[in-house]
Amino acid sequence: MSRTKENIPVFIMGGLLIVYGIIVQTGVLLPLLTYLHVHKSMDLMVTMSFVIGVIALVGAVINSSKEPGNSVFDRFVLQPMGGIVLLLIMAMAIRWYLEPLVIIMSKSLHATLGFDVYKVLNLNYVVLGLLAGVLLTNTYGIPKFAAAGVKCARFVLKMGVIMLGARYSFAELAKLGVYSIWLIGFFVLGTVFLVLWLGNIFKQPKTMTGVLSAGMGVCGVSATVAVAPVVKAKSSEMAYTIGTILSFGIICMFIFPTIGKLVGMNAVQFGAWAGTGILNSAQVAAAALAFNAVDIKTLKVAEIFNITRVLFLPVIVLVLATWFGKESGQKLSFKTVVIDKFPIFILGFLLLFILSSAGLFSPPEHYKGKYIDVSYNKRTEVTPEEWEVLNKAMQAGAFKELNESQMMAVTDLIHQRQIAGNFDERNDKTKFDQVGRARMSELEGVLAAVKAKQVRLSKEVGSAIKHAISQVHKKSKTVVTLTDCMIWFFAFGLIGLGMQITKKAIFQAGGWPLVIGVISGVAKATLSFFIVLWLVKDVVLK
Amino acid sequence: MENMFKHILLCTHGSDGARKAEALVFTQLAEATGAKVTVLTVLDKDWRLMTGDDWLNSSKTHADFLDHVEEQVSEEIADDWNRILSIYAKARSADFVQHTGGIAETITTVARQLGCDLIVIGPYRKTKRLTLKMEKGLRDRMKNEVLHPLLPCPLMIAP
Repeated sequence: MSRTKENIPVFIMGGLLIVYGIIVQTGVLLPLLTYLHVHKSMDLMVTMSFVIGVIALVGAVINSSKEPGNSVFDRFVLQPMGGIVLLLIMAMAIRWYLEPLVIIMSKSLHATLGFDVYKVLNLNYVVLGLLAGVLLTNTYGIPKFAAAGVKCARFVLKMGVIMLGARYSFAELAKLGVYSIWLIGFFVLGTVFLVLWLGNIFKQPKTMTGVLSAGMGVCGVSATVAVAPVVKAKSSEMAYTIGTILSFGIICMFIFPTIGKLVGMNAVQFGAWAGTGILNSAQVAAAALAFNAVDIKTLKVAEIFNITRVLFLPVIVLVLATWFGKESGQKLSFKTVVIDKFPIFILGFLLLFILSSAGLFSPPEHYKGKYIDVSYNKRTEVTPEEWEVLNKAMQAGAFKELNESQMMAVTDLIHQRQIAGNFDERNDKTKFDQVGRARMSELEGVLAAVKAKQVRLSKEVGSAIKHAISQVHKKSKTVVTLTDCMIWFFAFGLIGLGMQITKKAIFQAGGWPLVIGVISGVAKATLSFFIVLWLVKDVVLK
Repeated sequence: MENMFKHILLCTHGSDGARKAEALVFTQLAEATGAKVTVLTVLDKDWRLMTGDDWLNSSKTHADFLDHVEEQVSEEIADDWNRILSIYAKARSADFVQHTGGIAETITTVARQLGCDLIVIGPYRKTKRLTLKMEKGLRDRMKNEVLHPLLPCPLMIAP
């Protein structure tokens, strides 16, 4: 009986999801969902609600009927069930309700404020998810039934990065790899030595500068956690360093995307800058998705930089261990210092990259983007900036030279923000697909006419149409599915990680770590900004 | 005042405020009442949350970090106890205990388990945010609304 009582929240969540799925399927919510511009995700809402709802109910029944076991299934599925379902519900609510509401409210305040709040603060579902996690854990606290599941966020985020491996080509990885090794190598080593030098100038203990240099130079709190036992950091040094890095990182997460947009950085430049300048790797992913959540170009670049600097972690641990070992006379084994710190999930990322590059996920008929996906998917939309370009061009009568069917295709692209079939015909998959493909052909015709100088359109309009077409050309159905899962994994993981950020940890910021951390962090962010703008050019990403 | 208290629980983590409680107990209360003194230092359980949004490290690295925190904080606590022993002769007859948990919950639980009839803590201090002085452990404040309902005996705050 007491076990059933413990599982009541999971029963309630599972039941609510199934009821929600039924309500959406009846179409009762269509006016509301259309108002929120999320009606195109109705099928996904129904599927996810039923699948997660049923799994939650089955899990709750099993958990109610038996004592917690110690098998892999018990530890990784049954016991965390409550937290996993809670995080999924939060991810769904934020993506389909909170984010659209924030956008609508921001637009309604535009006349008063003169700017869109959601654009300035980059309040998309990723940032909102992270903030919701932080808010929940620092107010109500993590509910007891969800505690085990929230810890899964780390694992799920690693799975997201592993899946991202399928999205790179050899050429992309080679090009981005060269950029990242040089930039990260320079900035990791530069920041580590800058912090050690500042520590020497300010006469701070080496245990403190050792732990701070790893945090500021490599990958934030993760590096601090890895290095603290090696340099024998004292409690105050660890606490103040972690507080400083968390606070600095959160500020960067909000500022970086806004600055990137203001100066007109492209996806590669911003990904490179965020991957170099932002301290915590989770915040790098959040900032990349905040800069561009429509497609994953920025995330792809940022994660390569993230992975490169994570690979530097064992190197830096080795350097600091050698440096500190000489001072203290302690001996550390190669296994403790390097092998134990190696991020094994990167092997999974490389495995998926190799499998994808070997064509395992792409049937021959899908080769070189021949697979066309005109179904509803947020990622196949044009960016908000491109949509504005197209909309203004339409209002200005820029498309008057197009023929009637081309005009209809452009009108529908503006209306739906993506190349797709008709919403009312979405249940007839064949017809929906035919209409979508016909619209794509018409838009390709527009580009051909522009090239032949039969039609005059601005470069921006042409670029927006070209992007809309490239958005529906996909590598393969498997890769599309992996990417969709990956986006949900990132949303889930970042909400869960937000729940691990406590105000107690943030308010530990202070003392000498704050002074040295701010100097080195600002120097790193500023210098990497200019170097990225100067050196990093656009790389064609698929 | 003699025999007024039989067992005093002195809670200290070595801060300036806690040192006032140490002085009050060992120079006045223990002397005047003849009570047995137990010195309690709590290792804050929230150290577990200090890994923040780290997701890159393995669970072994996390465990190593927490082991190091426990080892380090224990060393710092031992240093503190030696300081108390070197200052107050009366402290030589006191018991010294260390527990891990929530601050308020641990203090009241230990007081109940040991049958203490008085708990002594240091006074509230305003946190200085913009200071270069670094204090040991985590910054934390016990909330009265959490501590008071749990108290098994009177609470004395050193002035």
